[in-house]
Amino acid sequence: MKSPPFEYHRAGSAAEAAALLGELGFDARILAGGQSLIPLMNLRLAAPAYLVDITRAPDLAGIGADGGGLHIGAAARQRTVELHTDTLATAPVLSDAISNAGQVPVRHQGTVVGSIAHADPSAEVPAAFKAQGGTVTAQGSGGTREIPSEDFFEGYFTTALAEGELVTAVTVDAWPAGTGHGFLEFSVTAESWPIALAAVLIHTSGGKIDRASVVLGGVAEVPLRRPEAEAILVGSTPSAEAFEAAAEAAAAGIEPLSDSFGSGAYRKKLARVLTRRALTTAAERAGGKA
Amino acid sequence: MTIPKVRQHPEHLEWVGKSIPRVEDPKFLRGRGNYIDDYEVPNMLEVAVARSTMAHAKILSIDTSAAEAVPGVVAIVTSENVTDHVNPMPDFGPSPDKHTWYCLAVDKVRYMGEGVAVVAATSRAVAEDAAELIEVTYEPLEPLTDMLEALEEDAPLIHEALGSNIPFHRKFTFGDVDGDFAAADVIVRDTLHWGRSGGQPLETVGAVADYDAATGMMTIHVNSMSFTHFLFLLANTLRVPSNKLDLQPHPSGGSFGAKFFEVKTATIAAMMARITGRPVKFMQDRLDNIANGDHHGSDRYYEVELAAKADGTLLSTRYKVVDNYGAYIQFGVGQHGNSLAQAVGPYRMSSIGYDLTAVLTNKCQQGAYRGFGSEVGNWILERMVDLMALELGMDPVDIRRMNFIQPDQFPYFIPTGNVYDSGDYEAVLNKTMELSDYKGWRKRQAEMRAEGRHVGIGVCTCQERSVFSATEFWFWFDEPVAAPVTSAPESVTLKVDAMGAVTATLYSNASWGNSPETMVAQFVAEELGIKPEDVSVVYAGSNQGMPATGPGGSRFTIMVGGAVEGASQSIRAKAAKIAAHLLEANEDDLVWEEGGFAVRGSPDQRKELAEIALAAHMFKHSLPEEIETGLEASHVQDHPYTTMPNPERTNLGVFYPFVGHASHVVVVEVDPETGRVEFLDYAAVHDCGTVVNPRSVGGQVIGGTVQGLGSTLYEEFLYDEDGVLRTPSFAEYLIPSALDSPTLRVGHNETPSPYTPYGIKGGGEAGRMMAPSAICAAIDDALGIRIRRLPATPERIVEMVDAANS
Repeated sequence: MKSPPFEYHRAGSAAEAAALLGELGFDARILAGGQSLIPLMNLRLAAPAYLVDITRAPDLAGIGADGGGLHIGAAARQRTVELHTDTLATAPVLSDAISNAGQVPVRHQGTVVGSIAHADPSAEVPAAFKAQGGTVTAQGSGGTREIPSEDFFEGYFTTALAEGELVTAVTVDAWPAGTGHGFLEFSVTAESWPIALAAVLIHTSGGKIDRASVVLGGVAEVPLRRPEAEAILVGSTPSAEAFEAAAEAAAAGIEPLSDSFGSGAYRKKLARVLTRRALTTAAERAGGKA
Repeated sequence: MTIPKVRQHPEHLEWVGKSIPRVEDPKFLRGRGNYIDDYEVPNMLEVAVARSTMAHAKILSIDTSAAEAVPGVVAIVTSENVTDHVNPMPDFGPSPDKHTWYCLAVDKVRYMGEGVAVVAATSRAVAEDAAELIEVTYEPLEPLTDMLEALEEDAPLIHEALGSNIPFHRKFTFGDVDGDFAAADVIVRDTLHWGRSGGQPLETVGAVADYDAATGMMTIHVNSMSFTHFLFLLANTLRVPSNKLDLQPHPSGGSFGAKFFEVKTATIAAMMARITGRPVKFMQDRLDNIANGDHHGSDRYYEVELAAKADGTLLSTRYKVVDNYGAYIQFGVGQHGNSLAQAVGPYRMSSIGYDLTAVLTNKCQQGAYRGFGSEVGNWILERMVDLMALELGMDPVDIRRMNFIQPDQFPYFIPTGNVYDSGDYEAVLNKTMELSDYKGWRKRQAEMRAEGRHVGIGVCTCQERSVFSATEFWFWFDEPVAAPVTSAPESVTLKVDAMGAVTATLYSNASWGNSPETMVAQFVAEELGIKPEDVSVVYAGSNQGMPATGPGGSRFTIMVGGAVEGASQSIRAKAAKIAAHLLEANEDDLVWEEGGFAVRGSPDQRKELAEIALAAHMFKHSLPEEIETGLEASHVQDHPYTTMPNPERTNLGVFYPFVGHASHVVVVEVDPETGRVEFLDYAAVHDCGTVVNPRSVGGQVIGGTVQGLGSTLYEEFLYDEDGVLRTPSFAEYLIPSALDSPTLRVGHNETPSPYTPYGIKGGGEAGRMMAPSAICAAIDDALGIRIRRLPATPERIVEMVDAANS
């Protein structure tokens, strides 16, 4: 299990990274925490000719919240984001998701943006990001642009990034007071890959749900929003019946694939169970805040 | 051999029985263990193996031209020319000429991951770069992975020379099976399937080979040296004279059976070393180990019937077993000898029927895994006893207790011919009930169930046989395959130097992550009256070695204990002569006490071992003429108790005589919607005779139990119907970590063996031989289902719940 040969480059800034990507071309990949890319290279499932390391670029390391939401730089480590007070205040669903993503030493290496850019549809961070919503800041030789989280994930390990672009930061939208979140996943062993997960947020007002977000992971080629479930929730009073109906709707339309971890039918069943339980938790939290 | 004499064990032991810290710890914890991958020699090459991407295919051609062009590549051997360099691998199976295996596939590939070429290059990375460029043209053949399909007339043949996929079938009858079934009031039947898992050592198998063309000596550094008296087989494979092969042992970072007589890695390294004229390292990576390591565990399908009287008295068990051995069958059906060694469990049963069919398919071949097949037998029997309890409406504890072999019935010969040396099963069960607070848990279970929680309690009472005799490799056949091998020896040399310091030399690769040096240090300290930390333990290479078998079948501690005992007796005998001379006393008047000889009745008149050793080494000419210089002795411990099978094979003789016992009580809570199993409590009491080091036995029990948990809930080498290995890495092959493990409470009971030094029985495979039975019973109890197939993954549990509800 040794990687094929590659050339290592280190970028000192976002602009330098973008320039290097442009110069090195299609065979170049960004190296951040390396917790997904390096194992893939060692398994010879990925063989980039060039790596551009962005972890020493000071302008990519930041994390902080303002009125517009939570800003996370591309080099910010998962563990830092997970424990950051701004995350806990603004996007606790992301903190929960990170806490499920690998063991602590892995999270000290891995980055939040790296996980989003890697776009593994079973991973925790992309699902939580999409559930809360936000934007991806992409930088290429042509400048920077903002891509809504809803449009970012296009397929298995495939995103809306153009060739030569890297993600320099993401912004997670803030939700108002009265929001509760739930994040639940199921993995066969504590340290194995999740085979299904649910990331949900609901906002209640006057005893009724007025805003809901339900996203499933591990059941499709992207972190999957479930609008049918959201439609059932909005306008209803938080209740076991409402959550069961929403969970059923969330699982109804999906057709997960089978693999060695579990069949499609089992994943579908898990999706329903996890959604219902995540909504129950979210409602308790929303009530507590209201 | 007849029954050995019953030993009188000493009343007081100074070191045996104490939880001294492991003497191995300082070197391993400091990173100075000298593991094989840390062993580097100048000018060394490394190899990578190119593996079959097909499950079953004829090899039409292999193109290595692109690989040869990679800078740094020194030599490539492929399926097309491997037979020019080596002979077939050693094979203990039936008719080895009909399912021959080499270190690489020859003519056709028989499973996904089988080696088709090996590249030696200046680094492992370069070797892998080149291996990727080797182009193999295959003609695909129909893949076969299902063991029942393999039995069908028109099934594709794995080995054409065999003419079928059945290398072995025989129906054994031990005792009056038909009579017992006719006398039964109740017969329960079931079909059960034990899935294929395997030992996953942190360190894989590795070898560094160096061939000296000037002397013809082939030296191979390995982390898997065992069966040194069988290494002539490896010499034959390598085409070197047996006295020109030297294996040098390095400690191994875990085995669990997976390194048991593993010589393929050494073969590949040695082959490439001779071809290149340079030292060659082959260190398996995880894929090499999982896909092609020749050590997958049992993969069995059972149809079982258990007969009993209406009051719960167990009478007989009839087994029809099919075992999916994979593409080859290196150890024959030895795994079933392990099952038959304890086929009645701890229960009085007067007969056993055993219809065994081994089949070959397109999977990696089986080897050894902690229990070596006996863990499967335990699970089957305990599943059936639970079913009988259910059928009769009895408590699972009561049915076990009433059928126990009683303490006054030992030595107890079971129908297969094996003997149980000693035991007190009721004492173990009682201790377990107490440790687990079984009654309290039953009460809490009722309360938790009232809250809607799915809580279950499982109990098992299982045997652990120890110290195999090699007869179990051939008693399957009418004629012995080779000689009637009856011993599996272990040797030690003890040297007391001129300063009185003691060095113990071991002759197998005893260090498998267990505590062999600690054991030896405790034995030497006990025998020679010194401190364990003052004993130096070293390992000899095979060429200067003595017969040794190494760990396996929970044998090492007992056997090396006997070897140390024997060598110490010789040392004390010689020392007595010298002491008598120095003290001008009659040898018969000397007593050995506290590490020296004293004149009986005159304790002041004594010579310490160090004084005697100094005389022995330096002043030979002052001593009686017959005394040679030095104070050193070796002892070969042969198997203490084994007898021959009868010609009809209705009695297999004594082959696994030192039989421990354990009882586990498990409390689980299961989430019926997801299938998640959570452990609320786990208590285990083990009886492996006299315990040498309670702390290290406790570690064995905990580790073995967690491995048993893995085999029960998660672990499976999964091949799909196309023969594709779906679990080639730890991303897919799921092993439990500390986070998945219960907090075990471990207790010991000690029923000494009458036949072994100090009364020790083996304990190295404990845990894994019990956990599956207890955990399955607990899950069944929680959900009202019946587990028939392992692993019982969360998904399978949910399916069972759904089936029960529909």
